[in-house]
Amino acid sequence: MSHRGLLLPLVGFLLLSLGCAAAPPKKDYTAFRAANPRSILVIPVVNNTTNVEAPGLFLSTLPIPVAERGYYVFPVNMVRRVLEDEGLSDPNLVHMADTARLCNLFGADSVLYVSIEAWTAQYMVITTQVTVEFDYVMKDGKTGDTIWKEHKKVVYAPQQQNSGGSPLAALVAAAVQAAVTKAAPNYMPLARQANAEVINTPGVGLPAGPRHKEYGKDPGSAK
Amino acid sequence: MTARRPSFLLLAAFAAAVGAGCAPRTAYLWGDYDSVLYAHYANPQDSERYLERLGQIVQKAEVEKDKVPPGLYAEYGYALFEAGRLDEAITYYKKEREQWEESQIFMDKMIRNTQRLKENRPGPAPGGELPPPAGGTPGAAPAGEAR
Repeated sequence: MSHRGLLLPLVGFLLLSLGCAAAPPKKDYTAFRAANPRSILVIPVVNNTTNVEAPGLFLSTLPIPVAERGYYVFPVNMVRRVLEDEGLSDPNLVHMADTARLCNLFGADSVLYVSIEAWTAQYMVITTQVTVEFDYVMKDGKTGDTIWKEHKKVVYAPQQQNSGGSPLAALVAAAVQAAVTKAAPNYMPLARQANAEVINTPGVGLPAGPRHKEYGKDPGSAK
Repeated sequence: MTARRPSFLLLAAFAAAVGAGCAPRTAYLWGDYDSVLYAHYANPQDSERYLERLGQIVQKAEVEKDKVPPGLYAEYGYALFEAGRLDEAITYYKKEREQWEESQIFMDKMIRNTQRLKENRPGPAPGGELPPPAGGTPGAAPAGEAR
């Protein structure tokens, strides 16, 4: 009884501190500060996996966290359609196109290049491990130089619930979980988590943009 | 019992502090923007539903003007454009331009293009017309440019 009273807050602390990860080593934001972008062109993502749904799903998760960071984000679907009309319907071609020319077309300050490196569900005996992995590169529209980049991998394996100590109960619970995950591996929460960590982690994330109240105050922002 | 209470209070305070730091409320009213985008990407034929759902997000966000997300007016304008509703498309491109100065160059191009299309083709025009690239050569000749 007395143990539980201590354990509960402790577990709570651990869970909460996981949410706000400890600050990793700082990044050099000199180039970012010099470019000081106000707007970001989010272009269709390059898919380096075999999953055909991944690019559409992932592209749809990008505008919200980037805009919430304080930048003007160009309408992603409209941009994709306009690029298609420009003969750039293959995201690989868009990514190879000249950054300055892309920016000129839309009047954008910078371009966010994202590629999907992993988007898989690995089926094991009683559980399913879901993995997503992305590369994020932001380039300045004037110089074409890289001003920020990040890489993120998120792995999710459903944790076995401790169902009262019975190994059989635990096995059943895991089997149910696997069946659910198998039917429709849910990548979206993982993709959102990857974006949130990459964009919002202080010291390595995307600096607060001009429309954010922290603009100029966090380490990467232009003053 | 009394010894346990402070630890809970502390935890509660900590949770409140962390919660406030980690999960701020969003600056804009996004509604279900991301799932609407995805649904349209997965099934482009479903353009009526896409237009309708985008319209709903616009309507809800517009209640507080500075909560309309960047790009939303333009996205809705483009959906109207694809439905052949050119006048309304222009209206929403203008709204985007007015709210976000960062969109001015792009919106100016789209408005010019849509107006040109309107003059040349009185009927509804499906399909996308593109703004000519600044100083570049267009990759594929757009239908709208060929009078």
